[in-house]
Amino acid sequence: MKKGKRREETAGIANDFDKCDALGPADLVWRRHVTPAGLVETVIERIEKDLETRMITAGIDIGHQSVNAVILDQDTIVSRATLVLAGEVEAAAKAVLERVLQQAEMKRDAIARVYTTGVGREKVGFADGHGTEMLAHVTGAHRLFPAARTVIDVGAEGSRIMRCDANGKLSNFAMNDKCASGAGVFLETVAQMLRVPVSEIGHASLKSTKQVVLTTTCAVFAESEIVAEIHKGSSKEDILWGVHESVASKIASVVKRVGVEEEVVFTGGVGRNVGLVKALEKQLGHAIRVPEHPETVGALGAAILAAR
Amino acid sequence: MITCGIDVGSLSAEAVLFVDGRLEAYSLIRTGPDSAQTAEDALNEALIKTDLRREDLEYTVATGYGRVVVPFAQKNISEISCHAKGAHFFLPSVRTILDMGGQDCKAIRCDKDGKIVSFLMNDKCAAGTGRAMEVMAALLQIPLERVGPLSLESTKKKPVKISNTCIIFAKSEVLALMREGVPMSEILAGLCDGVAERVKGLIRRVGLEEDFAITGGISKNIGVTSRLEKKLGVKANICFEPQIVGAVGAALFARDVLEKRGRA
Repeated sequence: MKKGKRREETAGIANDFDKCDALGPADLVWRRHVTPAGLVETVIERIEKDLETRMITAGIDIGHQSVNAVILDQDTIVSRATLVLAGEVEAAAKAVLERVLQQAEMKRDAIARVYTTGVGREKVGFADGHGTEMLAHVTGAHRLFPAARTVIDVGAEGSRIMRCDANGKLSNFAMNDKCASGAGVFLETVAQMLRVPVSEIGHASLKSTKQVVLTTTCAVFAESEIVAEIHKGSSKEDILWGVHESVASKIASVVKRVGVEEEVVFTGGVGRNVGLVKALEKQLGHAIRVPEHPETVGALGAAILAAR
Repeated sequence: MITCGIDVGSLSAEAVLFVDGRLEAYSLIRTGPDSAQTAEDALNEALIKTDLRREDLEYTVATGYGRVVVPFAQKNISEISCHAKGAHFFLPSVRTILDMGGQDCKAIRCDKDGKIVSFLMNDKCAAGTGRAMEVMAALLQIPLERVGPLSLESTKKKPVKISNTCIIFAKSEVLALMREGVPMSEILAGLCDGVAERVKGLIRRVGLEEDFAITGGISKNIGVTSRLEKKLGVKANICFEPQIVGAVGAALFARDVLEKRGRA
């Protein structure tokens, strides 16, 4: 487009451009006086783009057991929170949003858009939009680790493995949400059985000295196998490592369906379990990067999607 | 001729005593942590009901998941062969057998002599096994034997759909249904229907030929068996004690061994 010529042709046409004032960048104010109708379009586009990048958004990830929220101001995570899912999905989403707002000392109207993701994403009436867990996790993981090409999300009730390209675009995925044997709830059950806090099972498993092999696939059957191991006198640490290896093998089989490309990023609450990450690294033969707050990656992704 | 069959399963163990081809006595106990001890206990319980002593046993065959550790057995044979043979003993016209055990489920096809033609089994997933039923009964706090009758009290034409296959996930689904106030009978109808649907797939894959029999603990659950009959459109034959069928087969194999030896 020959900008200069057009500007000349229609110079001096004033437009209703109040939105510009609200934004206030000097060059746009100046353009307000000189920009012709044809160029107004492009100017508005620029303004809106500016608006987008300046937009403060929130993402809420509603999982099977927890709800997570993130407030994002351009590239900065302003605040994040995780709550246990109790009761209605909409109420839980509201509660976690209030929590992040409170932490950030913000008002609800400071948030331009709220996007949801996760299993309960469509049940939140106040959301402006939603994205699939696959999209949200890839987007979030890619923002934190731009070199990420494989994203492993393990939550309470299943695992999802996503592949993406250099731009963070989702290219392929595979998931298991049918069977608990590769999911967080199984680890939780084992932690209860062995009376070890779930936050400590990963560390404890790394102290294993003797191999315990669990042969069953089903998590329900594995429970009886674990009872048998307890009767045999196997240590908690050894049993835990065996359990982590078993869970990792179930996840690895899904990973292999989509193929691995470095870097591999682990997201979802189970990412806090160092034992599982270690066992999975061993099985895949690749180093795995875990963000500092793996459980909020989906919410971060949703917040990024909201800003787009 | 006195022979014994022992079936040490994942959740229950059975001992059966045969005297001259006649079922003399049987026992049925819960499997303990030690399979060898469980086998001993089952045998002793069966012996008490007779005038027989241990020394009278001429040949013992063990089967089931703990069959290799039964100390007093001379031989062990897979539970699939034993269930086919046992079912054939109770019902000679049987051609398709569904064994629904504590931790697995097998669909077996056999010929007119009770020999296996083909079989399929699920031992990877608890869905559709006795274990799943136990887990749910415990969750709903009702005795296991009430599950079937209660499920038939459901008045709905279509049972509640329990969408999760995995029993661990289904647990939270059931809890959610209870919170919504869905009556117990409806939930149980959904569970029994789910189990029937799952094993229906297994039977279809192995091929269904009449007569059809069900063995194993779940065949005592009328909620599952009646729904399965409806889905398959055939009558399910269930013997008076479906849990001992495997042990009966083992005792019959023991008799075969002795007969062969006698002829030689």
